[in-house]
Amino acid sequence: MQGIRMSLRSLLFKSRAEREMDQELSFHIEMQTALNVRKGMSQEQARTEALREFGGVEKFKEQCREAHGGRRLEQLLQDLRFGVRMLLKQPGYSALVVLILALGIGANTAIFSVVNGVLLRPLPYPQEDRLVVLRQSAALTGQEDVGVSPVEMADYRARSRALADLVEHHNMSFTLLDRGEPRRVRTGVVSWSFFDVLGVKPILGRTFRPEDEKPGAEPVLILSHEYWQSQGADPKVVGRAMEMNDKTHTVIGVLPPVPRYPTEDEVYMPTTACPARSGEHARTMRDARMLTAFGRLRSGIPLAQGRADLAAVFGQLRADHPEDYPTAEGFQAALLPLREELVREARPKLLILLGTVGLVLLIVCANVANLALARLLHRQRELALRTALGAGRGRIARQLLTESALLALAGGAAGLLLSIPALRLLTAFAARFTPRAYEIGVDGTVLLFTVAVSLFTGLLAGMAPAFSRQDPTAMLKEGGDRGTAGGRSLRTRNLLIVFQLAASFMLLIGAGLTLRSFWELGQVDPGFRPERVTTAGLHLDWNRYDTEERRWVVLDDLLRRVKAHPGVISVALGSAYPLDGESTPWTNELLVEGHPPRPGEAAAPVDLRIASTDYFNTLGIPILEGRVFTDADHADALPVAVVNRSLAHRFWGDRSPIGQRISLDGGENWRTVVGMVGDVKQYGLDSKAADEIYRPFAQYAIGGGNLLVRSDLPPVTIEKLVRDSMRAIDPEQPVDGVRTLEEARAESLAPSRLTTTLLGVFAVLALVITAAGIAGILAFSVSQRTHEIGIRMALGAVPGDVRFMILRQAAMLVIPGLALGMAGALVLTRVLSSLLFGVEPTDPVTFVAVSLLLLGVAAVACFVPARRATEIHPMIALRSM
Amino acid sequence: MSKAKSDLLQGTLDMLILKTLALEAAHGWGIAQRIQQVSREVLQVNQGSLYPALYRLEHQGWIAAEWGTSENNRKAKFYRLTQEGRRQLDAETENWERISAAIDRILETA
Repeated sequence: MQGIRMSLRSLLFKSRAEREMDQELSFHIEMQTALNVRKGMSQEQARTEALREFGGVEKFKEQCREAHGGRRLEQLLQDLRFGVRMLLKQPGYSALVVLILALGIGANTAIFSVVNGVLLRPLPYPQEDRLVVLRQSAALTGQEDVGVSPVEMADYRARSRALADLVEHHNMSFTLLDRGEPRRVRTGVVSWSFFDVLGVKPILGRTFRPEDEKPGAEPVLILSHEYWQSQGADPKVVGRAMEMNDKTHTVIGVLPPVPRYPTEDEVYMPTTACPARSGEHARTMRDARMLTAFGRLRSGIPLAQGRADLAAVFGQLRADHPEDYPTAEGFQAALLPLREELVREARPKLLILLGTVGLVLLIVCANVANLALARLLHRQRELALRTALGAGRGRIARQLLTESALLALAGGAAGLLLSIPALRLLTAFAARFTPRAYEIGVDGTVLLFTVAVSLFTGLLAGMAPAFSRQDPTAMLKEGGDRGTAGGRSLRTRNLLIVFQLAASFMLLIGAGLTLRSFWELGQVDPGFRPERVTTAGLHLDWNRYDTEERRWVVLDDLLRRVKAHPGVISVALGSAYPLDGESTPWTNELLVEGHPPRPGEAAAPVDLRIASTDYFNTLGIPILEGRVFTDADHADALPVAVVNRSLAHRFWGDRSPIGQRISLDGGENWRTVVGMVGDVKQYGLDSKAADEIYRPFAQYAIGGGNLLVRSDLPPVTIEKLVRDSMRAIDPEQPVDGVRTLEEARAESLAPSRLTTTLLGVFAVLALVITAAGIAGILAFSVSQRTHEIGIRMALGAVPGDVRFMILRQAAMLVIPGLALGMAGALVLTRVLSSLLFGVEPTDPVTFVAVSLLLLGVAAVACFVPARRATEIHPMIALRSM
Repeated sequence: MSKAKSDLLQGTLDMLILKTLALEAAHGWGIAQRIQQVSREVLQVNQGSLYPALYRLEHQGWIAAEWGTSENNRKAKFYRLTQEGRRQLDAETENWERISAAIDRILETA
């Protein structure tokens, strides 16, 4: 307490404290003089003796000030004032350092904002740590999430003792008629207590009640905040009637702006209002697994206990219904914390990015430390003078650290500004892997992080100059900037450069590997030709078109109308189209005649697709054997199918699949294979082709799908054509999702492209900073060695010799840097393997290319200083000695 | 300076100042003089260490300072021991006695 009061006093009443000190000291001198006089000296002599005995008054005063606690605070202010003055006196240097720091700190702030929003922040729900996902998987068939069926929901709900509640969610797309154009809306179909389990309170109206989910209840809707906003944010929307699935739905509430998990639904309805969910199949079949199940653990029940409870319940289900939980498929049920589940895919990528920017920050630190060390040599005289005037070693170190921290804080502020535009790109990046991406933003934690990182950077970068050993007297004696004090500091600087090179090498390898896998992905043959094909989504009303015949009449009509248009080369219908990121697999178990499944064998699912006659030639999928569908394959004709090469190979090996018979309904109905087509990368260029079976649309007319148009007409014309044709048939049926397959293909490459771009940007940043560092240190060394070079040239060295000398010096830095970086990269790139496609983490091509690149850049960085060295005129160099 | 005079051991100066002030309040010069006199000129107090020590002790709250009038009628800064300083002195004295006894024992036996 006392200490603080004194500190403040001496700070506030500085002049008084100083005056008192002066008074006290002069009193001392006076007393001593008087004593000396009493001892017999003359007045003059006595005073001189007293002063001499006292020693250096200024140094001593400074010591007194130090002992006085207030000095520390005041020194800090003084250091800050002085630091600002110093930095403003050298604007070029300061701006350069602030820029470098801003890039490093900005990159870290941006990535940390993402990590904070996605991985660190709790979910915006009350007691979010009690929220869990119940997930069933069949690991041995490669399915991590098979979903939960309504029947299973009821069982889990009735038998689990650890869960306070278990609610379901599935996602549908319905046509909504709200005063005008039909619109497809993403609809979340949920249990009535879904929002209560999450703890979400509506901002208007109410959420669902048990009576809303009773069979035969009046259909009701809840709007998401985003949808409500996009439709004009009508405050009286509660009670409004909207048409959906040929029924009138009443809006009962609007949600607050909370993140929408697990999908971004626009509106919500209770389970009984969904035609699919309330259908016979979904309600009664144990394997109609279409739901995601969310639960809330009872308070006081730890996750482990919840898991044990679930395992027991699952054991009972398996014992009761062994045929629905085949052990051969590795069927399992697990309870996962919701937060972990939501970021499962994003976590490794974000951690890799965080590591990358961390490395960039270290390079920045090393670079700024190097600049500061070089700067220090120009400030030798000033520092020597200050030392001579009584500044202690600690005081000088503190001053240098203060300057460094000041620069870092300025860099941090600039970095924060830089990070804000970067965040938009990063949010788009993160949105591909987690629904939490929209929680990304700059909040208090991020600001705190930025300040902390800035101070840390400032201190780390300031450490080398602050604690470099300086000999002030030597400096004063030599009196020039070309002092010898650089010996040790030059070694520090070289080490810093080697470190920068090594770290840059590792970053470049990371970026190089992802770039290579991006290129490899682009080279993958997708199995179809996306050029000039435009797709549009169709969704016929479930109720109005309730039979296959009615649906086929409409769809066939549409196909004919579009095809009749001049400029359309071909048009087809498919249940899905390749590389549509939205589509989920439609799988079915397949029986092959003459291949009865062995007991206990997993009947691995195959992909089912419905295709119209021109599907294969519209998409350019090669026909390998037999034929594809024709108009003769109508509803009453012989049921036929086309298989892809993988499926044919799996069941028939090298034999021809043509004429083989298969069943998709457990042997009730058989259909004949009439053709074999090539494999298509349906789900992504990086995934393996699935085993596929195609059925003709005319023999299985589903109520929706994708129209595919191959044409030289521009996509807008095709969109208008499709919309007009549909409107002419039935104006209430929507057309959506119009895009070209080229766009879909580019989109499927986007995650890889974004990762590559991010890692590439950081690596180039590191490379540029490092190259500037090399150029800097060589230029410095040339200016230090001007005399030596002058002498060498006077003694007959030719420019080539001098250049060689400089290059050799550079090589002494670059070669250990490369070696170190290579060793580090071999260890570190293993973490990248999850991001790579078609390339090993130790890919020799990348390693060689990056080495050459780094050597090349280093050579360019050497060029200017080397040339300056050869231009040194021996006479001038020698004279300036 | 004569060779018989010893420099003060690091850290003992604080204790001597506290001890001196335990008898009565004094100004800086007075403290230095008294230490010299009582030690019969064996201990020389270097002014360069005296005043920083005083400021430090004041900062720690072991001594307090106030302006008063000196014996020759001059304005001078007088230091006195605080309660806390007295406790500190006791602690340091005890410590010193323990150490010097230990050193004595070594010198006698070795």
